[in-house]
Amino acid sequence: MVSPWRFLPFLGFAAAALAKSSTGESVLIVLDPDLYIENFSRFFDGLEARGYDLTYRRPKDVYPPVIEHDHPKYAHVIFFAPEVKTYSQDITPQSLVTLLSKNTNLLIAVGTKATPLTSLAAEFSLILPPPGTPLVSHFPERDTPATVVPVNVSNPVVSEDLPPVWFSGVPFAFGNNPHIVPILNAPPQSFAADSDSDSGADALVDAANKGGEGLWAGSSLGLVAGFQTLGGGRATWVGGVELFSDEYAQKPAPNGGKSGNEQFASDVAAWTFQETGVLRVDDTTHHRVNETAPRDKYTINEHVTYTMHVSKYNPTSAVWEPYSGIDDMQLEFTMLDPHIRTALKPTPEKPGEYSLTFRIPDRHGVFKFNVDYKRRGWTYLQSTTVVPVVPPRHDEYPRFLSPAWPYYAGAISTSAAFLAFCALWLAGEEPKKAKSTKFD
Amino acid sequence: MPLAYSVPTDLSPATVVNATSLLRIVALALISGAAIASRLFAVVNFESIIHEFDPWFNYRATRVLASEGFYEFWNWFDPTAWYPLGRVVGGTIYPGLMATSGVIYNILHALNLPVDIRNICVLLAPGFSALTAWSTYMFTKEMKNESAGLLAAAFIGIVPGYISRSVAGSYDNEAIAIFLLMFTFFLWIKALKTGSALFGTLAALFYFYMVAAWGGYAFITNMIPLHAFALILMGRFSSRLYVAYSSWYAIGTLASMQVPFVGFQPVRTSEHMAALGVFGLLQIIAFSELVRAHVSSKQFQSLLYASVIGMGILGALGIVGLTYKGWIAPWTGRFYSLWDTGYAKKYIPIIASVSEHQPTAWPSFFMDLQLLIFLFPAGVVLCFRELRDEHVFVIIYAVVASYFAGVMVRLMLTLTPCVCVCAAVAFSSVLDTYIDPVEPEAVEEDAQTAGDGAVSASSTAVSTSSGSTTTTKKGKKAAPAAHAGPLDGLVSTVSAAVSSKKGEKARGIFGGDTRLAVILNALGMLLFFVLHCTYVTSSAYSSPSVVLASTNPDGSQHIIDDFREAYYWLRQNTPETAVVMSWWDYGYQIAGMADRPTLVDNNTWNNTHIATVGKAMSSSEEVAYPILRKHDVDYVLVIFGGLLGYSGDDINKFLWMVRIAQGVWPDEIQEPNYFTAKGEYRVDDEASATMKNSLMYKMSYYRFAELFGGNQAVDRVRGQQMPRIGPTLDYLDEAFTSENWIVRIYQVKKDDLLGRDLRTANAFEQGKKRKRSKPVARRKAIV
Repeated sequence: MVSPWRFLPFLGFAAAALAKSSTGESVLIVLDPDLYIENFSRFFDGLEARGYDLTYRRPKDVYPPVIEHDHPKYAHVIFFAPEVKTYSQDITPQSLVTLLSKNTNLLIAVGTKATPLTSLAAEFSLILPPPGTPLVSHFPERDTPATVVPVNVSNPVVSEDLPPVWFSGVPFAFGNNPHIVPILNAPPQSFAADSDSDSGADALVDAANKGGEGLWAGSSLGLVAGFQTLGGGRATWVGGVELFSDEYAQKPAPNGGKSGNEQFASDVAAWTFQETGVLRVDDTTHHRVNETAPRDKYTINEHVTYTMHVSKYNPTSAVWEPYSGIDDMQLEFTMLDPHIRTALKPTPEKPGEYSLTFRIPDRHGVFKFNVDYKRRGWTYLQSTTVVPVVPPRHDEYPRFLSPAWPYYAGAISTSAAFLAFCALWLAGEEPKKAKSTKFD
Repeated sequence: MPLAYSVPTDLSPATVVNATSLLRIVALALISGAAIASRLFAVVNFESIIHEFDPWFNYRATRVLASEGFYEFWNWFDPTAWYPLGRVVGGTIYPGLMATSGVIYNILHALNLPVDIRNICVLLAPGFSALTAWSTYMFTKEMKNESAGLLAAAFIGIVPGYISRSVAGSYDNEAIAIFLLMFTFFLWIKALKTGSALFGTLAALFYFYMVAAWGGYAFITNMIPLHAFALILMGRFSSRLYVAYSSWYAIGTLASMQVPFVGFQPVRTSEHMAALGVFGLLQIIAFSELVRAHVSSKQFQSLLYASVIGMGILGALGIVGLTYKGWIAPWTGRFYSLWDTGYAKKYIPIIASVSEHQPTAWPSFFMDLQLLIFLFPAGVVLCFRELRDEHVFVIIYAVVASYFAGVMVRLMLTLTPCVCVCAAVAFSSVLDTYIDPVEPEAVEEDAQTAGDGAVSASSTAVSTSSGSTTTTKKGKKAAPAAHAGPLDGLVSTVSAAVSSKKGEKARGIFGGDTRLAVILNALGMLLFFVLHCTYVTSSAYSSPSVVLASTNPDGSQHIIDDFREAYYWLRQNTPETAVVMSWWDYGYQIAGMADRPTLVDNNTWNNTHIATVGKAMSSSEEVAYPILRKHDVDYVLVIFGGLLGYSGDDINKFLWMVRIAQGVWPDEIQEPNYFTAKGEYRVDDEASATMKNSLMYKMSYYRFAELFGGNQAVDRVRGQQMPRIGPTLDYLDEAFTSENWIVRIYQVKKDDLLGRDLRTANAFEQGKKRKRSKPVARRKAIV
């Protein structure tokens, strides 16, 4: 069976320009049969205009597979299927995690219905409300339903000064997972409730009285949340697929003017597809002060320079550029525990270089230069260099110490006295008697 | 003088001397050949391979020495041992063994003999055993005579007690140390006998070699002072003793301090204080003797004695005071465990856990020494007969070494040379007595006595050919007859009881038949001794323990090579920097054969680090995982004998891990938790929860039940039926299991990609549904 969807990428072929992602330009869009490409044309066209190859697929289609022979076929996968309950065999929560582990990025939209994807959200420490409870907000007063909520945006991941964004869908509370990057948080007055009536309000009051347990309400709820995995792959969870729709993009903001949806969606996709906030460690070196080549081992108390080069991906020119903008990076010199932990500052005048000179502690062992830089919204920078620290060689210890003079004097005087004694003994006369037979 | 059998009379004395010396040389050469050959069983039965555990480290160190030279070896810091602490190898080993091999290697290569360093290491111990035989010959010659020396050499050459530590491939410090021990003792005796500073210095030099080669040098450090002290107490102080001891102590101590591992220990630790104390005592006594020789006044002399004693007491108090102030380190735990065999188990389980530190079982005395152990007391008694200075030494040696051999299995090794010497003295006395053709003179009278029976004849003292034995002042009193035969005093009381009525009469051995009976009997004993030694050597002491052997039903040998299989797997399939955690027994083997960093190894210097591994092994996965990650562990290796019935596996050692961990973390690890309610150590269904959750248990029995395909799984070592559903692992992955399941290797999983704990991640992978969660409670309602 050949799906007509597979020919779609060729439509956008002409628009293919520079690939803007740092990991690849192929995108698979798994689209709910009830949703139409035309309704999301601004978002998809925007992606194509930025150089992505889009492929579309229905959730139950077998072809094209997201992963084949353990090898991901696409650099990015978009799931716009908030209500689909069954997928073909290659799409399971487990296979999606496998995709992430192979540095494929996921953009996942969920809805108010329980689907395999909402159960997967729990693995990302996103706590979804029970099915059928979308976000509701009665503020500000507006002519749209209470479930279509304008949300103010302020997040470093997306562009600054965006107008409010229209949102409708489910919010999620965050578990205590440090890898979550909240991108869009719910308005303070909003809460999750059965949409048709406000009958859930009593339950909310109850939950609020219990200290917030089981309460999906307030500004700590997430609507759009990124997830930076340890391996580098990124996943972004969006509470409602309408956020990307043409309809919301064109809908005017409550206080007049254009809504921020189009730019916001584009920024979210840029972050998810590893265009923005992408750093990497180019190389690390270490050497003794006044030398240039690294040694395979260092001696205790030596002064050592550690240098690291960091690059940032520039999506407009699609090149890695040296980046000196990190001012809170730390270097640890670790053996079991950090023996030294100190700031690793950018070197002035040298873009992308971070350097530090320090004295190795008075302790031998196998040490590690450890840089572990994890900040929300940025790729994690991790670098470990193992280097043994050894005690001085036998001929590297100081000699002729002043406290040892008494011992030198003792040794020399004893030797001299012995020589003198021998000389006197040999030169002296033969004693009369009894001198040599001391105690025989 | 009547003779029992005719001896050739037309030989000139020179011919006899030449012939005997030639025979001696031939005999010594044959003994050396036998000593070397009997140690080659391991090579013939298996292959030229390094044995056991410690030799693997020595071998690895020797390779470094051979390839990179002495100075690099001296400064060698091994970053792969005790990861991540590392080991300053040059400063923490006795380099004598490696240096010896290195010298041999360089000499052979200088002679254009490209011998592999491994073969030198494998064959070093047999080679040095030949030297040990020679030095024992020299030592025993000083005790009695050349024939006793030859017997002692033959004994030490093949006695299992020594072979156990010196078969080919057993490349350990003891391989050369026993030779050095015996040769140092020989030189000491020689120095003492001659009063020669030259021999004293030689003794010191070999003492230095010994210090550089084996930690057991402390035995010499205390034996020689003890001997000197005993001689002083016996009133045998002499200038010979003074010269010998002073030259040995001064030069030997200075020399021994040149070994980095020893350093200032000779002046800073209690183990060495006896030598220093005796040295001081000798100086005081020598001084008082000198003064006494010049001063005649009686009162002054008594005053002098009082002051000498006072100085001695003052010196002893000084040492005690310094110990209390901390200037001199008190006795170490290892030393205490020699006196109180329960000490180590209570306070230092790490020492008690070593099998060779266990008390010796009685049968092993017979197994290791066979007939020598019976001759040994006789030899000691014979030493009392003459009691020259050197005999005092042997007696002290015998008493001390017997005690130590009873306390620790491994110290059987130090007892063995002494047993050989004493047994040779006793045995050669018997042979001397019965081979001597001289008949007692009073023939007529003895006709009747002979009729009394063989008992009286054989137990009657005899005159011997050892008339050359120098009589000392102590030796004189016990000799009623003209000939001071060694057996005289021993049996004179017996014979006195038998022949008291007959009064003075000639005693001796009459006729060829009695001689023949005893000699044949003795030769038979020797023959059985040789058979026993050969049997024990080939069956018990020649297994490399790296390679195991079993017998097929048809009698052919089946080699079980799981260890090397697993180590080579590690070598071929893991990155060079992959850290392997195992119990410390296997540390040296992993380093030597797999060439991977290890957390702990057989050089058990850091109890806390070992306890850390013990804790990881005996805790649950959740507790162990952070420990593993903190130490960068990539692989965990366990030894499991349950399938094959290999009893030396980790589950059987497990309680030691628990005990050692408990010593450091008494709140977290408790030994009783690993027993069932009835107090049994079980691994089946009844095992305690703590036991079943421990990492060691899980790694050992992971998927074990599946192997039996639905049938009841049985652990063949413990003889227990295993539960049908085995343990599960969340934090580790099985990476490798060897053919017979003896070695199992697990890979430590990395942190979860999504920041979950690995148990949850694993449950997700297996498709288990997660319980719905709710937002966590906050202290106040959200505004």
